[in-house]
Amino acid sequence: MGMIESTLSRPMAIAATAIARPAYAVPGFSLSLGAVGRFLSKPATLIGVLVLAPMVILALVAPVLPLPDANAPDVRSALQPPSMSHFFGTDKLGRDIFARVLMGARVSLLIGFSVAAIAVVVGMALGMLSATLGRGVDSAVMAVVDLLLSFPSLLLAIGFVAVFGAGVVQVIVAIALADIPRAIRLQRSLALGIRGRSYMDAARLFSAPTWWLICRHLLPNTIASMLVVGSTYAANAILAEAALSFLGLGITPPTPSWGNIISDGRRYLQDGWWICTFPGVAIVLAAVSLHLLADGFRHSLDPRAEA
Amino acid sequence: MGAYLRRRTLQTIPTLFGIVVVVFLMLRMLPGDPAVFIAGENASPEALTAMRTNLGLDMPLHLQFLTYLGRILQGNLGQSLMNGNPVAAIVAGALPITLVVGGLALVLSFLIAIPLGAAAAFTASRGHGALDHGVMIAALIVDTIPGFWLALLLMLFFTLQLGMFPATGALDPTNPGAFLARLTLPVAVLAIGQIASVARITRTSVLEVLHEDYIRTARSLGTPEWSVLFGHALRNAALPVVTIAGLSFGRLLGGTVLTENIFALPGMGTVLINAIFSRDYPVVQGTILLYTLMFVAVNIATDVLYTRVDPRVQL
Repeated sequence: MGMIESTLSRPMAIAATAIARPAYAVPGFSLSLGAVGRFLSKPATLIGVLVLAPMVILALVAPVLPLPDANAPDVRSALQPPSMSHFFGTDKLGRDIFARVLMGARVSLLIGFSVAAIAVVVGMALGMLSATLGRGVDSAVMAVVDLLLSFPSLLLAIGFVAVFGAGVVQVIVAIALADIPRAIRLQRSLALGIRGRSYMDAARLFSAPTWWLICRHLLPNTIASMLVVGSTYAANAILAEAALSFLGLGITPPTPSWGNIISDGRRYLQDGWWICTFPGVAIVLAAVSLHLLADGFRHSLDPRAEA
Repeated sequence: MGAYLRRRTLQTIPTLFGIVVVVFLMLRMLPGDPAVFIAGENASPEALTAMRTNLGLDMPLHLQFLTYLGRILQGNLGQSLMNGNPVAAIVAGALPITLVVGGLALVLSFLIAIPLGAAAAFTASRGHGALDHGVMIAALIVDTIPGFWLALLLMLFFTLQLGMFPATGALDPTNPGAFLARLTLPVAVLAIGQIASVARITRTSVLEVLHEDYIRTARSLGTPEWSVLFGHALRNAALPVVTIAGLSFGRLLGGTVLTENIFALPGMGTVLINAIFSRDYPVVQGTILLYTLMFVAVNIATDVLYTRVDPRVQL
């Protein structure tokens, strides 16, 4: 079980584990080649990789693929069902849904990975400082964390874009705002747990400076758990982007994102079920595989976890 | 109990203050001049001055905040810029729909998820992992299905193909049949969104409890398995489940915004989204404030509920 439990009551800890599901990895095991092998040896993780990798590659190469222009209207082929010429059909304006889903993947995956990266980096930095720099810094950081956590996350994001407008950068910040406090909290409790380990005492005996403690001990021993939650943040960010864009507050047309393609298609539910269906399937596949990766990280980085 | 409730409520005062500051700053952080942003580039100077006075933007910032805080403490959330109606009245009119839909979804999700999670844990502990694996895989997938997308698919199938459950039209509580038919799909979508996390926590919690000594004692005394499960395991596993009810309430609130939007339910989410598009910021601030207060209140209630569910918890 993870270190977070040392700061929480047992039922709270069980709940926290299940919410952040996959449970937190045990700190103390860092990345290694053996970990990579263990990572891919689990069938569920392999499925996650096999689903996510092609999506990422397709998103990256989408602009050079021989596909119809995702934004070029073609009225003659409006609202066509899926066929060999249009794999996922076309929308009201005759735009190719397959091309739009691929181009949308670029935006949606970019947002997912950016949010995860920002939340993990900022969370690790502030969580570490909070745990090492003493009571004053700690209570200031935790006060802001508690404040941010007192807003329901989607409403925090909605409020943010209501003020700062729609757009990729705004959406990334809006979603990250809800994940950063969670990441800080986790990093802080992991770091506090490690602080009492004997190797930390040993390092302090040799009067190792704080930066040494952070770089040599805290960072390597907590990064595994942060990778686990980072994957779930990415999955949740993809869902949050879709929700914001669906409401018309996230990524606005003509730039396609999975959320706004669905939003676009909801008016043609009866005449074109395929417009909404395929981007939704893409969201589910991406989110499920990210959760499987998180599970894989947890198992591979913690050899003690059950198979 | 009463003392704890008082202490817990007092502890939230700094949080509440912070929430009010954030909501207050929303309007002031609008890009450029908030009055121009809201009234539009072409507004006349007189209109802009009126807008500034109306929003209190003509005062120094600290006075603006004190005025805002004072009004909120009196239950005055300001006036809508669209029709001049008090925001408190607008929000109060929309709140019941959100509470009914969200509350029904919460109850429904517990009724489905707790037996599922308990059954998964119980069969797994007896060495039959099939049901357990099935439930966990289903939970993983269900958890990643965007609620708004599921809503569209259900609407496509039930409303458009089968003609069941109208997705639009008036909500009339005096006609219970039509009222429930209208709410069936939104409640189902929201409940499905909660099932995965509740089932997962129930499973984890029951699995933990099943390893306890008193369960082994009960079994060794020949207690029937159903009695072990219902009489001992489930009751002791309830605490984390209560916790997650509070924590996942935030997600439920977010879900109601989308669900109300899709099913055209005149709840708080619909009010909020319409207000954002018409740049009616007092209404935006009022709804976000109320959502957040509800979230904070539920978290306090969850804490207090601990002591009721588990007398061992000393608060």
